[in-house]
Amino acid sequence: MAKLKNNERIEILKKKMLEAPRYASIEQARIITRVYKENEELSTPKKRALSLAAALRELEIGVEPEELIVGNRTKGVRYGVVFPESGCSWIDREFETLPTRDQDKFLVRDEDIKEFRETIYPYWKGRSMEDVIRHNYGEKIDEIAKVVKINQKDHAQGHICPDTEMWLHLGINGLIDKIHQKQKKCKSEQEEFYECTLIVLDGVKDFMKRYHDHIYGMLDAVDGQYRESLQNVADICLALTQRAPETFHEALQSLWFLFVVLHMESNASSFSPGRMDQYLYPYYRSDIASGYMTRQKALELMECLWLKFNQIVYLRNKNSAKYFAGFPIGFNVAIGGLDQDGNDTYNDLSLLCLDAQYDLGLPQPNLSVRLNKNSSHELMQEAIKVVAKGSGMPQFFNDEAIVHAMHEDLGIDYKDALNYAIVGCVELTTHGNNLGWSDAAMFNFNKVLELTLNNGVCLLTDKKIGLDLGNLETYETFEDLEVAFKKQIDYFIEEMMKAEVVVEKAHQDCLPTAFLSCVIDDCIDNGMDVTRGGAKYNLSGIQMIQVANLADSLAALKKLVYDENRISKHELLSALQVDFKGHEITQTMLLNKVEKYGNDVAWVDELGAKWAMYFRSRMKDYTNYRGGKYHTGMYTVSAHVPMGENVGASPDGRNAKTPLADGGLSAVYGRDMSGPTAVLKSVSRISNSCTTNGGLLNMKFLPEFFNTQSGPDKFEDFLRAFIDLKVCHIQFNVVRKEDLLDAKVHPENHRSLTIRVAGYTAYFVELAGKLQDEIIERTSYDHI
Amino acid sequence: MTTSKAYVFDIKRFAVHDGYGIRTTIFFKGCPLRCKWCQNPEGLETKPKVLWFEKNCIHCRLCEKASMPHQMNYAERPYFNKNYSGDFDNLVHICPSSAIRYDSTSYTVEELISKIEEDRVFFKRNGGVTFSGGEPFLQRDFLVDILKECKKRGIHTAIESSFYADLELVKQVVPYLDLIFADLKVFDEIDHKAMTGVSNQKILNNIEYLLTSEHKDKVIIRTPLIPGYNSTKKNLSQISNFISSLYPKVKYELLNYNPLASSKYDLVGIEYEPGKLKPFTLDELEMFKNIVKEAGTKNIIEV
Repeated sequence: MAKLKNNERIEILKKKMLEAPRYASIEQARIITRVYKENEELSTPKKRALSLAAALRELEIGVEPEELIVGNRTKGVRYGVVFPESGCSWIDREFETLPTRDQDKFLVRDEDIKEFRETIYPYWKGRSMEDVIRHNYGEKIDEIAKVVKINQKDHAQGHICPDTEMWLHLGINGLIDKIHQKQKKCKSEQEEFYECTLIVLDGVKDFMKRYHDHIYGMLDAVDGQYRESLQNVADICLALTQRAPETFHEALQSLWFLFVVLHMESNASSFSPGRMDQYLYPYYRSDIASGYMTRQKALELMECLWLKFNQIVYLRNKNSAKYFAGFPIGFNVAIGGLDQDGNDTYNDLSLLCLDAQYDLGLPQPNLSVRLNKNSSHELMQEAIKVVAKGSGMPQFFNDEAIVHAMHEDLGIDYKDALNYAIVGCVELTTHGNNLGWSDAAMFNFNKVLELTLNNGVCLLTDKKIGLDLGNLETYETFEDLEVAFKKQIDYFIEEMMKAEVVVEKAHQDCLPTAFLSCVIDDCIDNGMDVTRGGAKYNLSGIQMIQVANLADSLAALKKLVYDENRISKHELLSALQVDFKGHEITQTMLLNKVEKYGNDVAWVDELGAKWAMYFRSRMKDYTNYRGGKYHTGMYTVSAHVPMGENVGASPDGRNAKTPLADGGLSAVYGRDMSGPTAVLKSVSRISNSCTTNGGLLNMKFLPEFFNTQSGPDKFEDFLRAFIDLKVCHIQFNVVRKEDLLDAKVHPENHRSLTIRVAGYTAYFVELAGKLQDEIIERTSYDHI
Repeated sequence: MTTSKAYVFDIKRFAVHDGYGIRTTIFFKGCPLRCKWCQNPEGLETKPKVLWFEKNCIHCRLCEKASMPHQMNYAERPYFNKNYSGDFDNLVHICPSSAIRYDSTSYTVEELISKIEEDRVFFKRNGGVTFSGGEPFLQRDFLVDILKECKKRGIHTAIESSFYADLELVKQVVPYLDLIFADLKVFDEIDHKAMTGVSNQKILNNIEYLLTSEHKDKVIIRTPLIPGYNSTKKNLSQISNFISSLYPKVKYELLNYNPLASSKYDLVGIEYEPGKLKPFTLDELEMFKNIVKEAGTKNIIEV
């Protein structure tokens, strides 16, 4: 790997970024509120466009002398932006506690709180999208909340991969020209849309120009080595207002402006650049070939952009911050993968992305590698070196599992499926032409099972929230139970879909997005905003939560209750109703006397796979509000904790309110006792149709694995089997000292953690305390 | 094919230290040697044994209620009667926490081959199955049959063995092996007997056969370095000299001592004689390698 050695510029920028105080900012909220008030008579799309244009012209901007890529949505870095149109009631409630809360703190200014309360919040109360949804359907949404968590209620759409290639190719003027052409022949109902796009693009041009002017204003005070490079950046900003980018540096700057503005318009999580190594390669190749740029210079530029990816953070409420700790915003970059002809492709730029990740080790971008059966040894080995560093990156996606399913199941054009990208964490999308609505809702299978077993009554609250179809004691056979389970699922799907319509409509009414529509095909051709269905693809993704617990619960019911009669129906139902208090033997049997998902036991895995497939097939009966298809994903990120809090004691032996399995495809913590190959085999039994919206498989490895001569090669063997097994996703955490320390205290959560002990491998939690200490001692990153 | 069964005390999938690629390692129960430092003490006895895992036990005493007369008694924990003539299936079945388990499972060739097949997709590049133990040669016909079956199915096969076995059996088995790890722990016969309980005459004969046969390139000779036991200059020189004189290009691997081996001794109720030993440092390992090289073996490898 070609590392940037002692690069002072990068060191300074990194230090500045990490040391800068973080504030909550109401600057843009002030501008938006003012523009809305001044233009009450105009339509919402117009008001939205005008307020974005005003923000682009008025927001304070800042530049550091060392920067090669400039631009941000606030003058300070990593500010949390208050965004009133989507919803700000939580800010009203939590403003004072932002500096002191446990996770993701922001400083606040007293005068900002005062202004927010006096002039901003009162205007939006009742008008924000959040309030509109709550007013129209809040009660219904709350009623089903323990089973179905309806998302996208208080922020604009993110999780989008814009058409970066077109943006770079046309440049802003090219884009404006294209819209002018369309406008000439447009229908009357399209007129306003085109006007709005021109309003915002004009603002974007001014925004770029402002950076040029700002830099020239500060140049005199900058001396030494950074003056020349800074002046060059200013000239690039000006050039981008006049023509499309031509050099690699210009392309990176242009790309960054695109993402800054997308965040300014929507303040949403996860606008992702997608396949950067593909669409930026022509610029890179030409600059390298002409001698205009060295590989080292290119890496420095990439690292400057990498730093930028860490400078926009997302202000979340207290609860959300707990579950999405560390301000993740999901600039997902996908490298490698199949090209338009179906051949494996990677290039020097793919490797540079890995180099930048290796050097910086920062949380953003979220780096993903696309693999397929022809993936190169070189790319895999370079990626494995980065994995060994332990940041959990890069994660791996499997073309063999994804492309076909996207094409066959979702009706995505084959060439678009080949060109898939990832947005946010693991959500799959086509590149530049999709409003994927990937986090529409989370559907908790385990809560549905609970209600099925208990007359539709919640074990935690004793309230009836589901259909009363009987209870465990009244279902004579396992098949009877399954019939009831199916009915209960159908009921909640129906309820969920009603809520989805309300939410999508609110987005259309409250949050039209003209700028985003400019960079999502075919909105401009259709003359239609992306929230109204202007995109080529209009998907909605529902997450199925959590198949591992469901499989384990159904397996326990089938084997211990119905087949072997070792636990009576009455005993199990009573035990669940009191969270196993006084029923410890029953709980212990549930945990130990039946096989678990994740151990390559086909009949157990298939119980989970079957219901995931059933749910997926039901999605085909519905069409979303934009006219697109529903599909499913199997990932939770960290929502397995709050989703678990909603579920009472379950037949898999899990206590009430404790977390569900993590990830989405992973086994329940500590229940995968047969090693990583068995996990992959189990996961491979779930159809890829179920994860066209994304799947997530977490795996842990000890650092010592990478520390042997053959370790990286065997890791590649493992990844190649992952490809052959057509599992959609995998990411690796390297076990850290803290994990082992935690395993000593909470062995129940780490039962599957294995340690190489001489001639065999042992379960860490079964080792004696002093041996555990020895292993902890030797598990350190210094060896890597 | 034999209808006999073999006792297996562990099947380790994703074994990455027992040969090339990703492997499944089968640990057969039973070993004729009694190395003082044995790393798999639960593999020594041939017969299955019922064990009690303290960490899993919830002390529900269901075992006590289910016990047959003279099968066990419970005094703050279950104690099994070693002289009981029947099996302990009832106790293993009733125990809700699986704290009571057998130390091994019996497999027919068919059952074992299907376990091996489970990870077939991971064997593709270099991987396969490794037969270890205990001592795989103790299985005799079963070993021959399972190896034939593996080769029939195109699965790469390896063995980890002391090669304390009859030469005729060795000759029968090696054609079905793709990779052979042969332990040579101690060269001096008297020392070998003292440290492992058996003479090394058979072992040396077998190694001589292996390294002079058409199979010599499949062989890796291994010596585990046990501080205070076999890790002397004299012993390593003798081994090196012996093997390189049989085949100058012989592959040789030195295994560092692993102190974590002692953890299983408590479980099986045996005292770990070596006590607390430390693994060798990188410098010391380098020194051992030099000793070996000087004595004739140049091809020192690390798998």
